[in-house]
Amino acid sequence: MVNNNLLHVTLNRHGMLTRRELLQIAGGGFAGMMGGSILRTLGLNAAEMKQEGRSCIMVFLTGAPSQMETWDPKPGTANGGPTKGIQTKIAGVQFAEYWPKLAAMTNDVSVIRSLAGKEAAHERGQFHLRTGHRMGPTKFPHFGSVVAQRLGDPDADIPNFVSVGNTLSSGFLGVKVAPFVISKAGELPANVSSGVGAKRFERRLTALGQQDAEFASQGASAISLEHQELYLRAAKMMTSSRLKAFTLDGESDKTQESYGKNSFGAGCLVARRLVETGVPFIEVQRGGWDMHQNLWQNMPRTAGEVDQGVSALLADLKSRGLLEKTVVLVLGEFGRTPKINQRTPEVGRDHWARNFNMLLAGGGIKGGVCVGKTSADGQEIEDRKVEVDDLFATMCECLKIDASEEMITPEGRPVRTVEEGLAIDELLS
Amino acid sequence: MICSASACLPNWRSLTLLFCLGLMLVTENLSAAPPRRPQQPQQQLPDLKSPADKLRFLEMIRMSFPATRAGRSVTFTSEDLDRDLERYVARGTSTPFADLIDDETFIRRATLDATGLVPSANQVKKFVADPNPKKRAALVDQLVESDAFARKWARYWREVVFYESTANRNMVNPQAFEDYLYKEFKQGTSWDRIVGELMSATPQRQRDKKPQDNGWQQDNGPNNFILACENKPELIASNTARIFMGISIGCAECHDHPFDNWKREQFHELAAFFSSGKYYMTDQYDPSKKEEMKPKFILGEMPPPNLKPDQRRVAGAAYLIYNPDNYWFARAYVNRMWSELVGDGFYSVDSLGPDKDVVHVLTVNRIAATFRYAGFDVRWLFRVLMNSRTYQRGIATLEQPEDLFTAVRPTRLRPYEVADNVERLTGDLGGVRGSIESTFDANPSVPQADLEGSIQQALLMMNNGSIHSKLKNSSLRKDLDKLKRNDELITEAFLGILARRPTPPEITRYEYFINGASDRSEAIEDLMWVLVNSAEFVTKR
Repeated sequence: MVNNNLLHVTLNRHGMLTRRELLQIAGGGFAGMMGGSILRTLGLNAAEMKQEGRSCIMVFLTGAPSQMETWDPKPGTANGGPTKGIQTKIAGVQFAEYWPKLAAMTNDVSVIRSLAGKEAAHERGQFHLRTGHRMGPTKFPHFGSVVAQRLGDPDADIPNFVSVGNTLSSGFLGVKVAPFVISKAGELPANVSSGVGAKRFERRLTALGQQDAEFASQGASAISLEHQELYLRAAKMMTSSRLKAFTLDGESDKTQESYGKNSFGAGCLVARRLVETGVPFIEVQRGGWDMHQNLWQNMPRTAGEVDQGVSALLADLKSRGLLEKTVVLVLGEFGRTPKINQRTPEVGRDHWARNFNMLLAGGGIKGGVCVGKTSADGQEIEDRKVEVDDLFATMCECLKIDASEEMITPEGRPVRTVEEGLAIDELLS
Repeated sequence: MICSASACLPNWRSLTLLFCLGLMLVTENLSAAPPRRPQQPQQQLPDLKSPADKLRFLEMIRMSFPATRAGRSVTFTSEDLDRDLERYVARGTSTPFADLIDDETFIRRATLDATGLVPSANQVKKFVADPNPKKRAALVDQLVESDAFARKWARYWREVVFYESTANRNMVNPQAFEDYLYKEFKQGTSWDRIVGELMSATPQRQRDKKPQDNGWQQDNGPNNFILACENKPELIASNTARIFMGISIGCAECHDHPFDNWKREQFHELAAFFSSGKYYMTDQYDPSKKEEMKPKFILGEMPPPNLKPDQRRVAGAAYLIYNPDNYWFARAYVNRMWSELVGDGFYSVDSLGPDKDVVHVLTVNRIAATFRYAGFDVRWLFRVLMNSRTYQRGIATLEQPEDLFTAVRPTRLRPYEVADNVERLTGDLGGVRGSIESTFDANPSVPQADLEGSIQQALLMMNNGSIHSKLKNSSLRKDLDKLKRNDELITEAFLGILARRPTPPEITRYEYFINGASDRSEAIEDLMWVLVNSAEFVTKR
């Protein structure tokens, strides 16, 4: 079992060991004494040590935002409704009026306006946009689990995939790369302190390991082995110095204000802290986009929070030199009908998967690009249709993951990480 | 009320024709006892406004339902079940059947399955010592007749109905729903009658009341299936198919089903049963275009035109439950209960695609048919299954579909069962009970083989201060403290926590464990910690 109590390292005010400090420790012979294990115990994953640590933050707008009120407005048309456009830094490209902060950041941010989905029901659309595969009998993993598996340190002391809010599971990749779900950003996860000394705790864990192994041999292998794996990970996590990344300790009021003092803002801030501590994949969510009714009543606040949180996140990542290796995606499961419905008490837009939009930034994504074009009435893609597969191929490219690598399903069927599709060249720097 | 002639009015005739596929029904006075001979038919279909009228009407249809009428002479025993299934299973695999379980394992499994509770040390000891050769059957009888049985399944169906519901909290009363089901299960109300009542309910918004003050009539338990579906025709349709027929049809709301034969029109025709007025399907591509849809049930059953909403609901319920060709209804119940008890279903409980996805289809169809013959008696299925060899086999982690039912799959306790199991030892945990339930949260409609644990569960069970301080002061702990001999101590700890005696190697191991500790009191605490944290504690084996 793991016991890192012997290691007491000085942490910076963010509760983290800086790279410089690490090198000092390593240079001081501490690492030489302990071999590679100290680096592992400190929880710095191998990739980060090689300065290649790439991460992905997926901002998921659950409920499916309207493309016409986000980044593909059609002001002055019947379908466009009352939404006004505001100029971005990309020539000829406007965002909807609700996105002033991100519009001002479009040197770093790019938009895809011609994403073509295949699913117009929430559950199926979310499955497609989180896994890159369509829902069916095969339990495809969340893309975050794929990233955790390829980029994460398998021995990491905190999970390689953290989600603020419930999300899809790791499917057939299993609990090792399952999302660690926190319901409230900015606090330590619950129950991370054992209340007994390290030696006693280890004795308990050893006995538990034997107890579970016996149960496994009596026919409960799947449940018991998973149980042991989870306890091992939980125990590691309890002593991790990186746990502080889940809190907002040391973040100034000013920083917290800049993200917006709401749960979405806190989620974005924790995402930055997790990236900083080497977690390769984080999902943050903002729901409330399923605006069949009252669309224009709800849009300013919903969009406002996301505009503020994401723009602060991007600025913060950039100022810390993290943006170039962190790809940030802002997307929902599909779009909404260009035609406005006639629902009561106030109108809105219904489900629409034929064309919708999303934002990308950082991690090898070139800023200032607008991919694709929709028709004036918003009903057709006129240029550069992007399939969901193309999007996932692009993410693989940014994260230096091989999109053609095969994963083996429990039925023994090999499936490619991304089935088909080509990375969007014009987005790659 | 059963009419063999067809000299009824067109309205009446077409409705009943479709209700009963050829069996004609007339009604004279709903409150009268059913006469044996046909009477003069009434001119009008009763308006079926009150729940009592709806139930009486459904009861008449029930009496003419061929399966319930023929059922009196049909038998199907546990032995029939085993013979049938063993033959089919053995054809597909060379994996041997697992041995039958011992009494200790049986009482824990059966008690958990029938009541959701773990038996006490004394119950286990007493059962093991009982010389009665038929004690397992006697225990099953006792368990399925208990109040805890009614509570367990009321809670289960509450979870099934509410797990995926997004209805506003002020619109629903899940507790009233559970209590209603508890009462019905306790009385032995048959499954068809319960579902008939849920499906035909038409809760109305009470304008003079705030929603949370029973403004949706949610305090009346049976209204809550419809309310969990937010009273929306589309949700009622997809949940009716999902929960009561085991069929996944919901995605046909927006487009033709990607894998099955369900067409978008079919979905909306089903939804039309549950609309309070005319029902319109919005055009797939242009939401300003709408088309009126007439109600048509899944097998094409069409009620007469111009039914009132209440009548349409009753018609929908009748097509669901009493159409002899709709075998999905009985089979969905059988498959759900079977999945809960055996750990694997004949198919995934609520997402049946084409029928070819069903394994051992002949067996499950036969059980489902017999369930109908047994008048949809909820307890019948438990008795037949729990007394079978199929149910009483040892556990195994089955990976190949052809190995299904050669053994029983060990399954995770439901979130509230984990909480009950902990509170059995600690006493009332207050708010921590809620944490246990949310941390062990699992969708009751997802197959057990697909459920996963989480790091949070491990953290909670290992470290929660409230749980462990209460364990320290528990009556089990006090009893253990009194035992001077380590083998007795270990035996009682196992019986108290895992409901079984330890094996000889376990005794040896924990004697060593206790002797190696500096402090006996700490060692006892640690032993309890280990057993409470073991995978076995939160598993039905």
